[in-house]
Order: sequence, then structure tokens, then C-alpha cells
Amino acid sequence: MSAYGEFTTVMSEERYLVEGLTAMGYRVEVHAEGAALVGYHGDERRETAHVIIRRAQLDSASNDIGFVRGKDGRYQAILSEYDRSIGYGNQWLGKVNQHYKEIQTVAVAKAKGYIFRGKEVIQTANGPQIRLQFVAR
Amino acid sequence: MQQKTITVVIDQNGESSVDLEGFAGQGCDKVLKDFQGDDHAKVQRKKAAFYCQAVDSRNPHLKSGQ
Repeated sequence: MSAYGEFTTVMSEERYLVEGLTAMGYRVEVHAEGAALVGYHGDERRETAHVIIRRAQLDSASNDIGFVRGKDGRYQAILSEYDRSIGYGNQWLGKVNQHYKEIQTVAVAKAKGYIFRGKEVIQTANGPQIRLQFVAR
Repeated sequence: MQQKTITVVIDQNGESSVDLEGFAGQGCDKVLKDFQGDDHAKVQRKKAAFYCQAVDSRNPHLKSGQ
């Protein structure tokens, strides 16, 4: 045993966000310059986003869900009050972060030469936890 | 030689913990940083073996706990 750390995930890499949302079953659009989100009436909204889940994949009264890249490089979700109330709230965003972190961790660790030893999903009262194990060369 | 293992646990909110085993001295700082990436650190601490192994390397006659 030698060190321990706890971290809050910062979503700053588009490819891991896209892969994470894809792993959750969504088809996403990526717009380098950003594109307008569409509201539940089919109206184009003022908000733009760089990564978008179109509303057709959500509830019939949903708006698009967007992720906009801020000046600090972090992605922030744009979610309507309605969509937050029907299951796309903080718990859903937590899952997005969890998928992002899993994909990012495995990709970065392999790129840095660590050997991936396996993944385990642990069911807890608060939801599933993902346990990844690596070995250093 | 003890195997150097890294265990990452990611909870349902995307918060993660990284636990290193078998690393000695300053090497574990780099490994922890590799797994932190751009994330914000909430807690970071060295565990007992970090200090035991660091002492052992300076004085091989000392055993941890002495």
C-alpha cells in the first residue's frame, strides 16, 4: 500500500464524452462550432451546444440535451426543467460522468503503459460502482 | 518483488478513488497524477507503506515497525 486519492471528474475531452453517451445508448451529434438546441415544439432555442442528444431519442415532450464546452475546456450539460423532472437530472448526469470516467481512465492508462487487469461492477444501495484494476510495468 | 497495482473505483456520480499498492516513495505521486488527469483532487494521502519503504531504502537494517 502506498497512496490513495479521491477525485471529482471533470469532463474535458470530447471523445470520451461522446463514447460515454454512445455506451449509454444515445446517438450524439458533434458540432465543432456548436449548433442550436431544439425545444419540444420544434423551435430552435437560443442555447447552442457542441455535443447534442436530439429530443427524438428522449421523451415525446423533451427538449434536446446539449453539452457545451466552456472557456475552461469543461463540458457543462444544458438540460430543461422538464427533462430534469423526468429522469435526466443529477442522477442521470452522474451516470454520464461515470461512463466518461471509465472510458477515459482505461484509455489514458493504456496509453501511459499500464496493463489493464479487469473491470468489476459492484452493486451498492446508491447504484453501481465500477472497479477497474491495472498493473504498472 | 511486490506487484504494483492500481485500483480505480468510480461511483454512480462519477466520483473516483485511486488506490495504489506496492509503490514506494515518490514514484506513486506520478502514478496518482496519471490517474487523476484533469480531475479535481478531493483527498490525497500517502499510506503507511510509503513511509516504511522510504525508511527501508535509507537503512536496509531497519524493518518497518522498529
